[in-house]
Amino acid sequence: MENNNPLSPHLQVYRWHISSLVSISHRITGIINFVAFIFICIWVFMLLLGEANYSSIEFLLSSMIGKFIILSLTWSFSFQILSEIRHLIMDMGYGFELRTTRISGLLVIFGSIFLTIIIFIIGKNLF
Amino acid sequence: MVQLNLPENSKVKKGKYFKDKTGSKNIKNVNVYRWDPSSGENPRVDTYEVDIDNCPSKVLDVLNKIKNEIDPTLAYRRSCAHGVCGSCAMNIDGKNGLACTTPHAEIDGDLNIYPLPHLKVKRDLIGDLDGLYKQYESIEPWLKATSKSETTEIYQSKDDRAKLDGAYECIMCACCSTSCPSYWWNGDKYLGPAVLLQAYRWIVDSRDEERKARLKKVADELKLYRCHTILNCTSACPKGLNPAKAIAEIKKMLATANV
Repeated sequence: MENNNPLSPHLQVYRWHISSLVSISHRITGIINFVAFIFICIWVFMLLLGEANYSSIEFLLSSMIGKFIILSLTWSFSFQILSEIRHLIMDMGYGFELRTTRISGLLVIFGSIFLTIIIFIIGKNLF
Repeated sequence: MVQLNLPENSKVKKGKYFKDKTGSKNIKNVNVYRWDPSSGENPRVDTYEVDIDNCPSKVLDVLNKIKNEIDPTLAYRRSCAHGVCGSCAMNIDGKNGLACTTPHAEIDGDLNIYPLPHLKVKRDLIGDLDGLYKQYESIEPWLKATSKSETTEIYQSKDDRAKLDGAYECIMCACCSTSCPSYWWNGDKYLGPAVLLQAYRWIVDSRDEERKARLKKVADELKLYRCHTILNCTSACPKGLNPAKAIAEIKKMLATANV
């Protein structure tokens, strides 16, 4: 017999913790980066086809939206790298105490913003 | 595909409001998930005004007060009231825990009480844990020592005994498993933190002779590796145990070919 009883609320009621937030963001940025890589490959491929293509993409990327996309991707890659390091350390069996997971989660979140700013500054040749 | 929303028959409606009749100045609003299997209606959230001045300190005391003095139809599991039996596990203020060990004074504003997440509800705050118990059975949580005679004592050194600390204390309240999003989406195949912690407990037991078989059994894409170290389990455990670390240790044993 099929159980037609209601399902108790889950996502709707469960409070977010730093570690669950970092974990889901890790997934989302992973998917974004995957798509971004495809576009970067297409971009590189188009270089082979001539200069006109290059300048049209350059035009797109230097627009406001393009700059926003570049900055977002920089953050998304930064986040992915730091979060991946966190997961690697956890895979070695370290950093599972609740306090440590909170600190490492916060480090990933703020570190990714910090890294984005650093990369932005390097890219702008401001050093 | 993962269903993020609740199915149509599980959507929670607004329920009744029970006004305070004691005239107390210190009132806490308690929102409780209700579902009556005989009504054929959707679940609802009833709100009770509870006189906190005349209520002991724990969330379970609040529920007892509601059941005794306001609404006797409220159903929930409880037994020992001292955090040993694990019966009163529920979702309190967005986090799983034992009602009998959670002080209501620590929760600001309204007190929201739901059953353990993503379970089939039997009634009110009672979730159906049959699936979890079947999975627990599947890891064969008993000592397997075939070579020695059953009448001989099996010695265990202090160091080997210490390996069980942090694993044997589990009371199987299911707070961790039902806090895990991976278990929500794959609860039929993924064993979940509670059962994996117990699997770990038997894998590291020096007296057990089936370590390899146990490891082999649990080494499965779905049974074990659906753990993505979200760590909701560890932060939910009312006994302060660390199922996430136990799962990581199992993964490590498998990865280092220490099988």
